[in-house]
Amino acid sequence: MSSQIHSIHQQLVNKDITCTALVQEKLDLLKQNTNNTVNALLDTLALDLAAKVDAKIANGETIGLLEGIPFGIKDVYMVQGTYTTASSDLLKNYKSAYTATAIQKLLDAGAIPLVKENCDSFGHGSSSENTIFGAVKNAINPDLVGGGSSGGSAVNVAKDYTVFSIGGDTGGSVRQPAGYNNVYGLKPTYGRISRYGLMAYASSTDCVGPIAKSIEDIRIVLNVMSGKDAKDQTTYASAEITPDSIANSNTIKTVGYFKNFIENDSIDATIKADFLATIEKIKAKGIAVKALDFFESETLVSTYYTLAMAETASNLSRLDGTNYGNRIESDNLKETYAVTRSENFSEETKRRIVGGNQVLSQGFSDAIYLKGLALRDAIAENFEKDFSAVDIIISPVTPNTPPKIGDSLKDPHAMYLSDAYTVGFSLGQLPTLTVPQGTATGLQITAAKNNDELVLKFANFLKDTI
Amino acid sequence: MSKIMTVDVLSSIKGAQPSEAVNKLFEVIKNANTSNNNASNNHNNAVSLNDLRDDVVVDSSATEKQIIIENFPKEKNGYLVVSKVIEE
Repeated sequence: MSSQIHSIHQQLVNKDITCTALVQEKLDLLKQNTNNTVNALLDTLALDLAAKVDAKIANGETIGLLEGIPFGIKDVYMVQGTYTTASSDLLKNYKSAYTATAIQKLLDAGAIPLVKENCDSFGHGSSSENTIFGAVKNAINPDLVGGGSSGGSAVNVAKDYTVFSIGGDTGGSVRQPAGYNNVYGLKPTYGRISRYGLMAYASSTDCVGPIAKSIEDIRIVLNVMSGKDAKDQTTYASAEITPDSIANSNTIKTVGYFKNFIENDSIDATIKADFLATIEKIKAKGIAVKALDFFESETLVSTYYTLAMAETASNLSRLDGTNYGNRIESDNLKETYAVTRSENFSEETKRRIVGGNQVLSQGFSDAIYLKGLALRDAIAENFEKDFSAVDIIISPVTPNTPPKIGDSLKDPHAMYLSDAYTVGFSLGQLPTLTVPQGTATGLQITAAKNNDELVLKFANFLKDTI
Repeated sequence: MSKIMTVDVLSSIKGAQPSEAVNKLFEVIKNANTSNNNASNNHNNAVSLNDLRDDVVVDSSATEKQIIIENFPKEKNGYLVVSKVIEE
């Protein structure tokens, strides 16, 4: 699909549509939608901003490319004055006091926020069923999950309720729902976009990620949000990615894939066959394809979850009903903490907090947590070695098609394993893009750290090749 | 005063128990082969001392202060109420 941002921009400039009509149409669609994608509509704010854009156009003033473009925001981002619930009971009445840097940059560019989007509570899930707002239903088949944790964001884009949405990706939470709903979803290099104002899940892999229907729209939104931010000291300065720089793929000579992702029993037979067919099409274009060795899926998933649980147990310890959250009074301070947290956290969130505290405890930390960190180092080193031999790594997004609503909650361990193909790239802090092509749940394109441009370049090549 | 803290106390979650689903993940880590069991910290995100942000106090806007107060779980005369005594 071609860029919706360019097309809407042109329609606004030509006065074919008004911004107010456009925003009202999207708000109506969101309000009526039965996929459970909405936690809160930002209708007053959106219509006010739309009226200002219309006034500018009527006055003959020039508008920027993103000015008047409606977008959605996963409900884990701070937007001053709006509820930011993380789809949880604990924060169901929490109002953002300030605005996240990434979102502020979009607002400064004139984009119009429509909606805080449903997701797994605190990002804890791969299906967007772990939420107080009802399970998000898949855009293609509403009996299936929308994917997670940024499920509401991916479904809104797929259904054209938003032009783009901003998700958050810690272990696959942008890429997997993008794959499940046949849209593009990018996890940029860790640190390219500021995390300031993104509610922390696992701080060492949390990334801000755009979801959209075209590579061009991903590029535009990525450029606006990127950059160094004093409020997140893990950020770095990056150069703008121009349309010309990603138009031609002639610098890509070698592509790799992990053979153990493909040669195992847990991958769906059709996804495997489609992936291998894609490899053949790439070879037919004269690109060398290398089969690479990689860590077992179980090791990747276990390493990721061990570290993510340790980090989330620490990050969520502040939510105790004294400093934040829906306080439930009890006999004394400790009881108040315990009752507040027991009643207000979901089962999955509690499972992860308990797991995190287990691995950080004396007696466990050496055998599990520190070993997890050592494994992460080994995984990162493996990627460095791979990217000295290949330009791009491609992989499926998921081993299977989306499960039916209700199935994932019954078997948490199976849900963790379903993240096998996404978590490794998170541990490596690499740029990875889901493209809605190649298999039923898409393909992931990954490059070396800070090489987000190459990922978009290869996506353009694939768009024309398969 | 050595005291064993159970995960329910550590997590401030009543009756919390380690789960089977999570323990399966930990078993994989325990049994994994690594060339080095101590994190070598190749992968650290520490910020360079030469690149720290300015150590200045920035006053929040009136709106921000107002919303922070609105969010207080328990509030008295514009202040956050906390427990007078931390037991034990």
